[in-house]
Amino acid sequence: MSHSFADSWGLLVFGTWHHNMNTSDSSPSQSRGALVYYVRDVVKTREAEGVAFRLKVPSLQIAMGEKIALVGESGCGKSTLLDILAFILKPSSVGAFRFRPERDGEPLDMDAYWRSGKLNQLGDLRKRYLGYVMQTGGLLPYLTVRENMDLCRSVLGLKHDGTIEHLAEQLGIVKHLNKLPDALSTGERQRVAIGRALAHRPSIVIADEPTASLDPYAAQKIMSHFMDLVEELNITVILASHAWRHIKELGLRRLHHRTVRSTDTNLTETIVSG
Amino acid sequence: MRVPLSKVFVLASRDYIHEWQMSFCFVLALAAVLGPMMVLFGLKFGIVGAMVDQLIEDPGNREIRPVSSGRFDRTWLESVRKRSDVAFLVPRTRSIAATIELGSEGSSRHVRAELIPSDEGDPMLSPQGERPEGVTRIVLSRSAAEKLQVEVGDTLDGSLARQYRGHKERVHLPLTVAAVAPARAFSRDGAFVSVSLLEALEDFRDGRAVPRMGWDGDGEKNARTYPSFRLYARSIYDVAGLRDAFAKLGVDVKTHAADIELVQRMNRNLTAIYWVIAVIGLFGFSLSLGASLWANVDRKRKELSVLRLVGFRTMDIAWFPMVQALYTAIFGWALAVGLYQAVASVINEMMASQLIEGQQVCRLLLHHYGIALGLTCASAVIAAGLAGLRSAHIEPSASLRDL
Repeated sequence: MSHSFADSWGLLVFGTWHHNMNTSDSSPSQSRGALVYYVRDVVKTREAEGVAFRLKVPSLQIAMGEKIALVGESGCGKSTLLDILAFILKPSSVGAFRFRPERDGEPLDMDAYWRSGKLNQLGDLRKRYLGYVMQTGGLLPYLTVRENMDLCRSVLGLKHDGTIEHLAEQLGIVKHLNKLPDALSTGERQRVAIGRALAHRPSIVIADEPTASLDPYAAQKIMSHFMDLVEELNITVILASHAWRHIKELGLRRLHHRTVRSTDTNLTETIVSG
Repeated sequence: MRVPLSKVFVLASRDYIHEWQMSFCFVLALAAVLGPMMVLFGLKFGIVGAMVDQLIEDPGNREIRPVSSGRFDRTWLESVRKRSDVAFLVPRTRSIAATIELGSEGSSRHVRAELIPSDEGDPMLSPQGERPEGVTRIVLSRSAAEKLQVEVGDTLDGSLARQYRGHKERVHLPLTVAAVAPARAFSRDGAFVSVSLLEALEDFRDGRAVPRMGWDGDGEKNARTYPSFRLYARSIYDVAGLRDAFAKLGVDVKTHAADIELVQRMNRNLTAIYWVIAVIGLFGFSLSLGASLWANVDRKRKELSVLRLVGFRTMDIAWFPMVQALYTAIFGWALAVGLYQAVASVINEMMASQLIEGQQVCRLLLHHYGIALGLTCASAVIAAGLAGLRSAHIEPSASLRDL
């Protein structure tokens, strides 16, 4: 890459390095043997109205069962990284991008999928192994809470086995199961979204600011429910949040990232590694 | 690992029902186009149909008669009769010889009846009624029957005279009324009789002997030719073709082809006008449905990208607008059928006094409804195809956070 932001004058550094601020109990080195994600030199560049944005991931490894936090201001590229990890955004260039959803399975070369345009196979991987919690529910308004939670399961052809009811109970939304999402509060909808992301027992749950639209008290409550559930189901979690203080009690490993904005070239660059 | 189509179908249906107000608007928009189109077509079909019915109703419209008298022999007439477009053909004897004086016991009046050659399958006679047969059984025209005050089964006295070897000769023959023809079959005094009776009468008048009738004369006639014939085409649509065929054979004929062609031309013109309206209407509907489905894809971008996210494939997503467009097509069609039937019954009610019993000025056949449904579904599918293509290209990452 020709442009080096370090040599550039006019640099505005508002991201920070987080040296060894890893508060997670699980040390990455312990579980390196069972990596879910192995990412090296992945770059995504986006350009809109003369403003360029670049996400660089020199190295990122996420072990099975790890709970990862990605913290930063909006616009720093958290969502871009989540989308790359959820196979819904094609990276601009890839050194290596491997995904191993099953402990004893072969790692899959995600770059090969993207390069050969096998979008439907990427969809199948998402369907089988990923749960995604969006910032604002993303529930289908025409399905009841129960059907929304059952969406991924029914698409996979999984039978009704009480999972939905069990999850609903733990999330405190049993009485809403037969309602439409419109009848629920924002917080309740977010709980449903969490339930939906977990109901098909995915290997990984990706949550993009799942509590951003909630008041801090409700957010905290929902997040602790969420963490209890993923712990119970032994699911790998990648969570994005704009404020560390909201999630620091949850015991997540925080990814390092640094954002620099060059004013003369209109380029914002975020470098993430961990 | 496709998502089962039934799942896609259920989700698309739920969405359609959930947004029932929007869906109802689509259905109304379709019915608003399709309903009037069906009424228009019903009117065209009904009016032209009634005109055609009237043409068909009167077999006289199928009649083809030579303009001037010719010399047609049995063989030639037989070959014409065998044509598939000819329904009925009997030879005519000279018209000057084809009359008879009729008298009955019930009336003092004598009636001079014109004789019309007839046979099995005469389209002018009622299909259930008796036929003229042999040299005794004849079918009277209504007017003759009234003047003679006779009914079916009554006996008549027929008589005819000739000037033979310088003096006047009159013969009598007993005739039986086999049937009375419908009024429209022949409006003057007349009788439908067998060709053999007519031949006998002609021979008698020509001064020939008719041994089977016991009439004397100057020997029998051998090679008989006929000056004319009664011919009816199989259908009104065969008339023009037959006229042209006769023209080729050098026989000038008089037909109702002009009237028939007028109706046919009118049908063609109305059909053409109708199709122009129908194509514009359906095209407009297709466009408007396509535009709204297209806009729907935008409106539902987030929901569709959620489905993408949980692993719905390109084709699965493309089915969404398809299923919903088909719903609109079917419900819109059903509503249009309802509208049509209401309007048609009002129109038919209004026109009832000017029509013959059972005739409708606005009507559709069952298969017309089927065609309307087929066309509507086809245009809906085309419209949805465009929207489906668009929805299939939804990038989940780009749309998830838009809203």
